[in-house]
Amino acid sequence: MADTVTVTQLNTRVKSVLSECSAVNDIWVIGELSNLKKYPSGHYYFTLKDSTSEIRGVMFRQSRGRIDFEPQDNMKVTVFGKADLYVERGSYQFIAETMQRSGVGDLYLAYEALKKKLESEGLFERSRKRKLPQYPRVIGVVTSSSGAVIHDIITTSGRLFPADILLYPAKVQGEGAAESIVRGIHALNREGVDVLIVGRGGGSIEDLWAFNEEMVARAIAASEAPVISAVGHETDFTIADLVADVRAPTPTGAAELALRDRRELARHIDTHVLRVNRSLSGILKTMHYRFGMLESKLDPKYADQKISRYSMRLDELGFRMNSALRSTAETVRRRFIKMDSNLDAYVPRMIDNGRKDLLRYSERLENINPVRVLDRGYTLITDMNGKALTSAGQISAGSEINIILKDGNAEAQITRAEMRK
Amino acid sequence: MIENTENMTFEESLKALEQLVNELESGNSDLDKALEIYEQAMLLRDRCKKILDDCDRRVQKMIETSEGIKKEDFTAE
Repeated sequence: MADTVTVTQLNTRVKSVLSECSAVNDIWVIGELSNLKKYPSGHYYFTLKDSTSEIRGVMFRQSRGRIDFEPQDNMKVTVFGKADLYVERGSYQFIAETMQRSGVGDLYLAYEALKKKLESEGLFERSRKRKLPQYPRVIGVVTSSSGAVIHDIITTSGRLFPADILLYPAKVQGEGAAESIVRGIHALNREGVDVLIVGRGGGSIEDLWAFNEEMVARAIAASEAPVISAVGHETDFTIADLVADVRAPTPTGAAELALRDRRELARHIDTHVLRVNRSLSGILKTMHYRFGMLESKLDPKYADQKISRYSMRLDELGFRMNSALRSTAETVRRRFIKMDSNLDAYVPRMIDNGRKDLLRYSERLENINPVRVLDRGYTLITDMNGKALTSAGQISAGSEINIILKDGNAEAQITRAEMRK
Repeated sequence: MIENTENMTFEESLKALEQLVNELESGNSDLDKALEIYEQAMLLRDRCKKILDDCDRRVQKMIETSEGIKKEDFTAE
């Protein structure tokens, strides 16, 4: 006779059938996560699916400690656990005890292989890195038109050197992303942008994968405009980052690398203007000084003062010449005692220097030779014994004086002499 | 001798300004030359500042259409 059971009894029976069947216990199931919900209780609820089928799943809080990554929607995983029935709802589900990411290992292998290949071709060489233009007119950006990257670049560039921004809205993750990025790099190069920023925000290794594709790496390497990469977070290092001319830690950093600070440039210009002003006022000061000198030279009032100054300088120069020669000789003597090596070369040079000094002083003496002064219209007055007269106190009415001119002498008698007040 | 800075880029203007400063600082200029350099330097300073103060930069987005690539103004959300 057929059994008659309650709903609860049925569900309980199915539950126990499932728990006794080894085919659905302690097994690994491969699938993709979706509808992932993280409850405050600490449990994870999700749907595990493949292309044709799906099952609800749960991972209890106590099992969560067994996984070393943060599960996310669209992530390919392998889940260990058992099939189970939730009696109250009669719903079938999978109870996960642990979870592993699948496919990631393959991605790392692909990353390492491509890295090795491009490295051997020299694509990461420092010598390939180009300098960024100092004052670009147009910056090209290859990224999503909705992400934070373009937003940050536009915001940041407001306080930087003014340049136009041309965005190529690219698909930056999923199928066709690499192709889209490559098209963007080509299109912006055709537009003749001065520098390129290629990037996207942070995400899982799968999300960033387009930037690890060979075609993207090659497009960056072949780009005419220098390329700044800004992919993911600072800790993510993609192949695109390795090929790019410069890697920026963030989109804001990328804008700052591409454009110099506006205020800093303004200060730089001010410094130049300051230097011009300083030089110009220096030149004006020199002009003033030289003009002043010229004026005093032309004034006859100063002519006699000048003659006595000349004669004083004559004395002084003579004295300095003597002492210069003396001290040169003294120096030579001291050096001689001190160092007997190098002496052969040294002494003649010192002597030569001394001779040159002598020559130079002689020339200067020649320039202020009173006879030269006479050439310029001044005269020299002496008493009849040939002693130079420099003061009105040395003569009085009736004194006889001798006037020495450029090309001859004259004798004269003083009619009046007085000291200037 | 620069008479019109209108078409000079920032880089060209700044370079010219730097050259003038160096020339003036070399001390070989007479007063006339120095004044001429000063006037030129002021022109170039104005040009640089004008470019720096320019708020008229464009932010555009490329769109691929059947007739080729078009550009339109872009504002980030």
